[in-house]
Amino acid sequence: MQNDKAITVSQITKKFGAVTAVDGIDFEVPRGEFFGFLGPNGAGKTTLIRMLTTILKPTSGQAIVSGFDVAKDPGEVRKHIGVVPQASTSDLDLTGRENMDLYGRFYGIKAAERRERIKNLLDTVGLAQRADDLVATYSGGMRRRLEIARVLVHSPALLFLDEPTIGLDPQSRRVVWDFLRKLTEKASMTIFLTTHYMDEAESLCGRVAIIDTGKIIALGSPAELKANIPGNDIITLAVGKAAPQDVAGAVEKLPFVHKIKPEEGGEIRVYVDNGPKDLPALIDAARAVGGEITSASVHEQSLEDVFIHYTGKSIREEEAKKVSFFIGAGLPQRLGR
Amino acid sequence: MMIKLLAVIERDLKKFRRNPIVLAMSILMPIIYLVILGNSFQGKLTDLPVALVNQDTGPFAKRLVENLMAIQAGPRTFRLVDLTDQQKAVNGVRAGLYKAALIIPEDFSKRMTVAGRPDLGLFLDNTDSISADNIRSLILAAAASLGVDYVPIREVTNQPLLRDINLYPKVDYYQSLVPGVVIMAIFLGTLTTGAFNLVMDRFLGIDESYLLTPLTKADIVSGLIISGLGITLMNAGLVFAVSLLITGIPISRGLLNFVPLFIIVALTTLCLLSLMFAILGRIKHPRIVGVLSGFLNVILFFPSGSVYPIASFPGWLKGFAAINPEAYAVDALKSVLFKGAGMTGVMGDLMFLVLFTAVMMTLSILTFKRTL
Ligand SMILES: Nc1ncnc2c1ncn2[C@@H]1O[C@H](COP(=O)(O)OP(=O)(O)OP(=O)(O)O)[C@@H](O)[C@H]1O
Ligand SMILES: [Mg+2]
Repeated sequence: MQNDKAITVSQITKKFGAVTAVDGIDFEVPRGEFFGFLGPNGAGKTTLIRMLTTILKPTSGQAIVSGFDVAKDPGEVRKHIGVVPQASTSDLDLTGRENMDLYGRFYGIKAAERRERIKNLLDTVGLAQRADDLVATYSGGMRRRLEIARVLVHSPALLFLDEPTIGLDPQSRRVVWDFLRKLTEKASMTIFLTTHYMDEAESLCGRVAIIDTGKIIALGSPAELKANIPGNDIITLAVGKAAPQDVAGAVEKLPFVHKIKPEEGGEIRVYVDNGPKDLPALIDAARAVGGEITSASVHEQSLEDVFIHYTGKSIREEEAKKVSFFIGAGLPQRLGR
Repeated sequence: MMIKLLAVIERDLKKFRRNPIVLAMSILMPIIYLVILGNSFQGKLTDLPVALVNQDTGPFAKRLVENLMAIQAGPRTFRLVDLTDQQKAVNGVRAGLYKAALIIPEDFSKRMTVAGRPDLGLFLDNTDSISADNIRSLILAAAASLGVDYVPIREVTNQPLLRDINLYPKVDYYQSLVPGVVIMAIFLGTLTTGAFNLVMDRFLGIDESYLLTPLTKADIVSGLIISGLGITLMNAGLVFAVSLLITGIPISRGLLNFVPLFIIVALTTLCLLSLMFAILGRIKHPRIVGVLSGFLNVILFFPSGSVYPIASFPGWLKGFAAINPEAYAVDALKSVLFKGAGMTGVMGDLMFLVLFTAVMMTLSILTFKRTL
């Protein structure tokens, strides 16, 4: 039974003094799944990954990763996983290729195999030309791509990626997405990813957990999560000719309409189950009372809305802080404590 | 197993090679140290101004002055300035014009011949104790050679002849500093390799990704110690060779004793590397290493007997020297280099170094954490 689970976590908790960074979390990730963790800054994502990857001892609780207990068998766990930490961890005094080679050797991979694999990976992340330059001369995004390539040198069955696309431009991000998707689809890898980007979670993850102040507050596929929050999709209608009130009254009677909100300039916002599907019926109902729809827009509920619903805050508000964290990644962890 | 260890070593060597300034400095600094130390402690005192007030016209005063003139002409330790006013001479010493003032009283010759004690007045600027001691002993000698029992060394009536018998080939102070300088090169090497890598990786935050790999504690610690040993041995060897050349110790003596010297240097390196591991095992900021390095260098180097003999230390400092690995290393190097002792002659020192290394290694492995 254990065997079809890549990760099984029960009641895992981490306290830093008075701060409870991770607070009694339970979840399971079956093999081959692309699992996402979404949460605002300081939610406990990195702390959780560090515990699952053996470099931080849980205060209490248990985690089985790749079939081994992280507390009892950390060495075995490390052999089977690959991790991209949140902060940049490339060695600046070495070249990109040397960095990768070093990791290959740490996992005991033979020279010929290493050379071949490193070459392919560097190609994939678009660093072939710069492979023999010192990492100190790389841009932030190049370093990140190198780290993503590095983690695959020993082809682990289970990947932990802590905000892997941080600092990547939109194109590079697409490339990395396609690449990661292929890994789960073709190589049946299990991937555990944390992110701040809703589109990333929505486009990549089979299931998503939303974590806030150390607790999981929602878990499911992006579609399920969206379906679970009240209000669903929003259709904004601009109404001509007939009085908007008539149209509003007619629309409100429809079974799939949850709520109606008149807006400035004669527009109405209609909260419905499923925007694209419900729009034609909405237009028909308006016509029936002599109303004319001059324009309509559909806003599908996104994970962002789910996030705001559960955490009460928009994740974007925190975006600015990320940059400084990235630059200051090397600061001692106990700074100011 | 081996492949991981070699990877750790190679990473360290590569990083070191790409930082040639560190290499150049860790070789140059001990050598500059040797030159400065050798010249600042050892320089001969010459031309110290000494005021002479001779109020006696008798024969003994004349002979004493002649003796003093001979010193002035020969080793030139001091330069006599004839004065007539005693008060002026003493004030001159106070003002720093003279290092000393020697007063030969009127009745000096008379007291020499007739009963009574002849007295000489010597006013010394004892804020400069080294110059003062030098002058005092030279004037004492000059007076003593008048052949008569006279002042402080009264108990010596018929002076026994003290002849130096050198057991070993002559070692001047400059040469005697060489072991200490080699130890300093080792100290610098072990400080900037080995455990320092851990501190830097932690500071840069890249330790996280190394800890995430299957590297074991043993891989990390032994890998860093091996590369640290290699780098430090190379530095120390170069410093050793250059020091021999500068101080004129025959290179052949170094080559003849190559095996014991190599063993001492290598063991000292391991010893200090493991000491650094024990101390820096959990340090996260290079600034702490900076502060510690100055402190450690002083507390290990000066009480090592490389600059000044341990016998001159007060009890508590002797006690510290007894557990100071650098003291054992200096002793072993001096024995081999200057006394021609073989392996057996330095076995005691080597045993201590081995023991110290073992204790520190155990401590390091206990304190080194393989988590964040
Ligand atoms: N070493 C530490 N010592 C003390 N507190 C810590 C330590 N590491 C993390 N914390 C605290 O634990 C909480 C969770 O931090 P964590 O880094 O896990 O958040 P995160 O979800 O990864 O945030 P981000 O999105 O900003 O990366 C924060 O309140 C943080 O201050
Ligand atoms: Mg984080």
